[in-house]
Amino acid sequence: MLSTEGFGEVYSMEGGIHAWDGLTATGAPEAGMAWFPEKASWPDLISLAWVLEDGSRRFYSELPSRVNDRDAGGLFGQLVLAEEHHQSALSELYRKMTGAAAGPPARSGEDVMEGGVKVSEALAWVTGRSVTEVLELAVGLETNSYDLYIKMGRKMTDEHSKEVFSMLASGEKDHLGRLVGLLEKKV
Amino acid sequence: MSVVDYFKRVPTMTAEQVRELMNKKGADEYNLVDVRQPREYERGHLPGARLMPVNELLERTRELDRRKPTIAY
Repeated sequence: MLSTEGFGEVYSMEGGIHAWDGLTATGAPEAGMAWFPEKASWPDLISLAWVLEDGSRRFYSELPSRVNDRDAGGLFGQLVLAEEHHQSALSELYRKMTGAAAGPPARSGEDVMEGGVKVSEALAWVTGRSVTEVLELAVGLETNSYDLYIKMGRKMTDEHSKEVFSMLASGEKDHLGRLVGLLEKKV
Repeated sequence: MSVVDYFKRVPTMTAEQVRELMNKKGADEYNLVDVRQPREYERGHLPGARLMPVNELLERTRELDRRKPTIAY
C-alpha cells in the first residue's frame, strides 16, 4: 500500500512480530505520555525528564546491595553514573536554553522512575529475586522508556524539545545494549 | 490505488536486518510501522513503532516521512 503512496523505500518485515526475537515495548501508543503534559514548555519537559532520570539513578544505586552478583553490581554502578551524566546534560541544556544560572528546579518527593513505575515498588519487587529476573525487569523498564522517548520526540514540534528527547532516547538505547549484553551472559 | 497493487511484491527485510538498521540509525531516520490491531500492539511492539492498523494506513500516511526507509510489520 505504502509503495503506491509515494514512499520510496518500503519493506515488510519477514514473519512479522513472530519472527522478532528482540526487545519489545508494551502498552498503548500513548502509554507514559501523561507524565509529560501536552502543553508543557520545554523547560518543564527537561525538569520532568530530570525527575525520571533521578528515579532511575536511585533505583540502580540500590541494586548492588540487593543483588548478589559482582558483574551486575558493576553494571548497575555504571548505570548510576550514566543517569548522573544524563541529569548533568539535562541541567546544562536547561541552563543553555533558559539562560538560568542553575539547572531545573528540584522537585522533591517524586517516587517515579523511567518506565513510569514507582521506585519503591520496583525495589520491593527486586528483593529476593535472581540476577536474571532483576536484569529482565531493568531491560523491560528501559525498553518502555526508550519507546516513550522516541514517541515524545516525534510528538514535539519545537527543535529544543526534540533535542531533549533524542538525547534521552539514545541514552536508553545505550543502557539497553549494556543490560542485554549482561543478561545474555547470565541466562 | 488499483486492485492490482495488492498483488505487487513488497521488498522484505529479515528481523535481523531490521535489528541492524535500528542499531545503526537513530529512531528519527526511519519509519517503523506496526499495522496490527491496538490490542496486539499493547501486548508487545518494536520500540518506537507507530501503531497504524492496516485499515487506517492509507488515511494516515501524512504522519510518515516518505523520504525515509519505511519498515512495516
